[in-house]
Amino acid sequence: MKQDSKKRARSFVSNQTVAILSILIFLIAVGASAFRRDAPAKEIKISAIARDSVASVKAFETVYKVLMSPRCMNCHPAGDVPLQGDDSHLHAMGPKRGLDGKGVYAMKCSNCHQETNTPGLHTPPGNPDWHLPPAAMKMVFQGKSAHELARQLVDKKQNGDKDMQKLIEHADDGLVLAGWNPGEGRTLPPVTHAEFKKAWITWIKNGAYAPKKTSN
Amino acid sequence: MDEQTLSRRNFLKTSAVTGAVFSLGFYWPVNAKSAKIINKAEAESYGIEMNSWVHIDKTGKVTIFDHRAEMGQGSYQAVPQIVAEELEVNLNEINVAFAQGDNKKYGSQITGGSSTVRGSYKNLLKLSATAREMLIQAAATQWSVDKAGCYAEGGHVFHKSSGRKMHYGELVEAASKLEAPKDVVLKKRSEYKLIGKPLLRLDTPLKTNGSAVFGLDKQIPGMLYAAVERNPRLRGKVKSFDETAARKVPGVRHVVKVKMGVFSTYREGVAVVADSTWAAIQGKKALKVEWDDTGFEHLSSEDIYKRQLEALQTQEGLVFKKQGEPTEIIAKASKKIDVIYETPYQYHACMEPLNCIAHYQDDKLEIWGPIQGPEMVQDFISKEMSIPREKIVVNMTFLGGGFGRKAFMDYPHEAAVISKAIKAPVQVVWTREDDATQGPFRPGITYRCEGVVNNGKIDAFKVKLAGQNTGHWFGGKKDVPNGSASEGFLKPYADSIKNLAIMDVPFETPIPILWWRSVYASTNGFAYESFLDELAHEANKDPLEFRREYLKDERLHKLIDKMEEVSGWQNRKKNEGFGTAITECFESTVGHVVKVSKAPNGGVKIDQVWVVMDCGWYVNPDTVRAQIEGSVVMALGAATIHEVKFKDGMAVDNNFSTYQMPRITDIPPIDIHIMENDEDAGGVGEPALPAFAPALTNAIFDLTGKRIRRLPFSLQTV
Amino acid sequence: MAKITLSINKKEFPMEADPQMPLLWAIRDLTGLKGTKYGCGVAQCGACVVHLDGEAVRSCVTKVSRAVGKQVVTIEGLSQANDHPVQRAWQEIDVPQCGYCHSGQIMSAAVLLRENPNPTDQDIDYGMAGNICRCGTYLRIRKAIHAAADMQKKTATKG
Repeated sequence: MKQDSKKRARSFVSNQTVAILSILIFLIAVGASAFRRDAPAKEIKISAIARDSVASVKAFETVYKVLMSPRCMNCHPAGDVPLQGDDSHLHAMGPKRGLDGKGVYAMKCSNCHQETNTPGLHTPPGNPDWHLPPAAMKMVFQGKSAHELARQLVDKKQNGDKDMQKLIEHADDGLVLAGWNPGEGRTLPPVTHAEFKKAWITWIKNGAYAPKKTSN
Repeated sequence: MDEQTLSRRNFLKTSAVTGAVFSLGFYWPVNAKSAKIINKAEAESYGIEMNSWVHIDKTGKVTIFDHRAEMGQGSYQAVPQIVAEELEVNLNEINVAFAQGDNKKYGSQITGGSSTVRGSYKNLLKLSATAREMLIQAAATQWSVDKAGCYAEGGHVFHKSSGRKMHYGELVEAASKLEAPKDVVLKKRSEYKLIGKPLLRLDTPLKTNGSAVFGLDKQIPGMLYAAVERNPRLRGKVKSFDETAARKVPGVRHVVKVKMGVFSTYREGVAVVADSTWAAIQGKKALKVEWDDTGFEHLSSEDIYKRQLEALQTQEGLVFKKQGEPTEIIAKASKKIDVIYETPYQYHACMEPLNCIAHYQDDKLEIWGPIQGPEMVQDFISKEMSIPREKIVVNMTFLGGGFGRKAFMDYPHEAAVISKAIKAPVQVVWTREDDATQGPFRPGITYRCEGVVNNGKIDAFKVKLAGQNTGHWFGGKKDVPNGSASEGFLKPYADSIKNLAIMDVPFETPIPILWWRSVYASTNGFAYESFLDELAHEANKDPLEFRREYLKDERLHKLIDKMEEVSGWQNRKKNEGFGTAITECFESTVGHVVKVSKAPNGGVKIDQVWVVMDCGWYVNPDTVRAQIEGSVVMALGAATIHEVKFKDGMAVDNNFSTYQMPRITDIPPIDIHIMENDEDAGGVGEPALPAFAPALTNAIFDLTGKRIRRLPFSLQTV
Repeated sequence: MAKITLSINKKEFPMEADPQMPLLWAIRDLTGLKGTKYGCGVAQCGACVVHLDGEAVRSCVTKVSRAVGKQVVTIEGLSQANDHPVQRAWQEIDVPQCGYCHSGQIMSAAVLLRENPNPTDQDIDYGMAGNICRCGTYLRIRKAIHAAADMQKKTATKG
């Protein structure tokens, strides 16, 4: 799964020129309609929506890179156990998601993960709200193609019932920000939070278009 | 204990302090093979205090001393269970106390080599039976009846015909004045009421409510806490240090340079002493130390593997055992097996990190700690600090794991040096990082195994090993082969393999090394037993049948029969994933059968482990089982996860985050069988470890055809 | 340094401590309750587990400040008479060997059983995979948790 996701991410990047060319034809037709189906227009309360699929998809490249980086993906695993480390291996002690995403029994996230990072290498990073997405809304990033992830992010059934406004606000969510304060020895996401936020908003405000499906 | 010794007046009178108490003990002359029982006058003539292994006071309270470290292996249970059997007291009515370190009183107290029971049970049985007979005699005399009509049970003496009874407490005074009986009849195994029974351990309740006092839990008045920043290259010096920031940490009281002995080398560091462990650790982190790492090589793991391999390819080494003409046959053979087996350095990883309390005062030193080898500590510190040995008192606590690491002197020595420097009692606490990176470690050994099979028979068998020799660190001669070169390998093989050679190719590094559970058998077992499996495969023979053929020994055949029976060996299908191995360690023989299958997500899954142990006479089958379970888990970690990696002279992994331990989710079902026979007691704590890895890799070969020759390997990526 | 009061095992412990000090060391060195163990200091092994308002937190990475105003229960306070079902099961099955990790094991198991009175083997894995035992008592831990669940049920039906 880990291998897959990396491969997908790489192939998306390398195919981007082709993708951009095809976007004009493809996304206006398919992506946009898919988006409209998933997120009815009446719920979008952002006045400044400008439908620009090229700009949107372009911005999503950055978004995708960030979301698939270990700092984001590790807590959006395909299974019910979070990932760890820059190589996104399964969390060594195998804590389970639990219904609320906060772990189970003696293995609740906050038993180890404090409100702030614990000093030192290989120590638990911290956040007051440390958790995985809940069992009913797993918001899986791991293994998703850019196309799949983009569609998932705007699907209220899969994104925690977030409309566009809420999605934009989510860029400043405490746990999202925690990705840029990962604790000693962990790499940062590939761009700064400001750059991410800009790309995130650009993606959404230009219509939250999903990139083209890749062949794999 | 010979007859002459037994015939002596062998009870020892009580000290004035405790009043009339009946107690018995031994004297263990240095270098003597067995204990000697002496009377009080004799004890005085040797200049020693009377020891008292078994102590009964006027209230009938029985105190039994455990002379060995309790590190999980069960001496705290085994010693009393032995004594209570022949003494005829109820196990739940006795107190168990840890003896202080004093090998003049207790004999060797080094808790290693799985030796507590096998090394002392015969003496303990005789001692306890002697005490019992004296108590019965005292009662018989008092009642004016024939001793033969009396018996002891549950801490009382009974007169059969009249039904009279007396409590031991009422008899101690009279018993202590009696001559010891010359011939004490020991019980037969069939008469045992306690020995051989799975009785619950006496220390368990202490370990379920936090009341067991481990080394780290010990407190003495006025005690400070120390954390030490030690040279990360295991034996380097301190060039200079800046303590300014450390001094600013609230609670820090002293910062002192320390030098502690590691065998005949030294390790230097800077100790921060504070009024809490946390403050000491914070102070340690705030230190700025410049190290002097000159004068020794800074090796990396790759260097070690490479040099071991080179040594094996270019040198014949020292002859450990040689018979027939193995080298010549191998040289001439048109077809031979010539393979390399590699095993890594290992970390002991006791759950309780090293720690020790020392109080140096008025030229005397008292030590409290989790210590496996109290007399080694006395000897070493006496020499290093010029303190008379008798002025060094070593008190033993419970040990949170030992596995060999706590049979060493560096951490008590360090504590003593710090206490002397600060003129106060101090507890030195090693952080996990200190514990994981400072060694000594189990050495990693590389083996070259060469063999020739003809017509289904072994024509030549040659094993050469290159790895560090623990003996050298203890000052042993370097021109003799490692005495443990074949530890683990069943001795009878040498009787039936005509052309055989075992050679030790000398190999040194600056990395301090030490015993690790099952010692050299832990690596030898993998090489020898995998190699045997290769030879069996080459001979086109069933691996167990092949072993049976070469092991011309009835006791071993029974073990193999049992292994076959419990594992369903005969009914297994071809390449179903069954593997086996048998090793000997500390006079016990253990056979493993492992069954593996392909895991659904790739790799291999261990479906079942069967272990058959022949340890001869044993005390507590549940303890035996527990030790086997633990050995399998430790062996699983060593085979599939653990390797101390060195880079530039330093150990790389420093905590469980990267030196991962097996967890509850990793443990296969383990089916355990103990052989019943009348043989002498063998070890229990270690012997079940070595055969697991080769049984597992042999099983993987059976399933996949892939021969694993280097540990550790990943089950996920086999 | 700050003056704080910890409530441990229903007893108040006023102390002067660095608020950053891990709860583990405050418990061990400042109150003298030594049943809670130091194993790794980085939340890897679980030897230091205590209950903080009922949750099995790892005291080695929990700042003492987090425990202020909360109820701390250590192994010494799990029961009055060493007879919590988990403790009884541990004794009956002779789980510990060296015993060092078992304060943490027992405290973790107690939370597991409170939240899941009838755990399966898999539930036990989920609840206990955070606690390391170097002596390798895992199979007995599993057995003992099942036994404790049975005891708990019996007690519940009686009561």
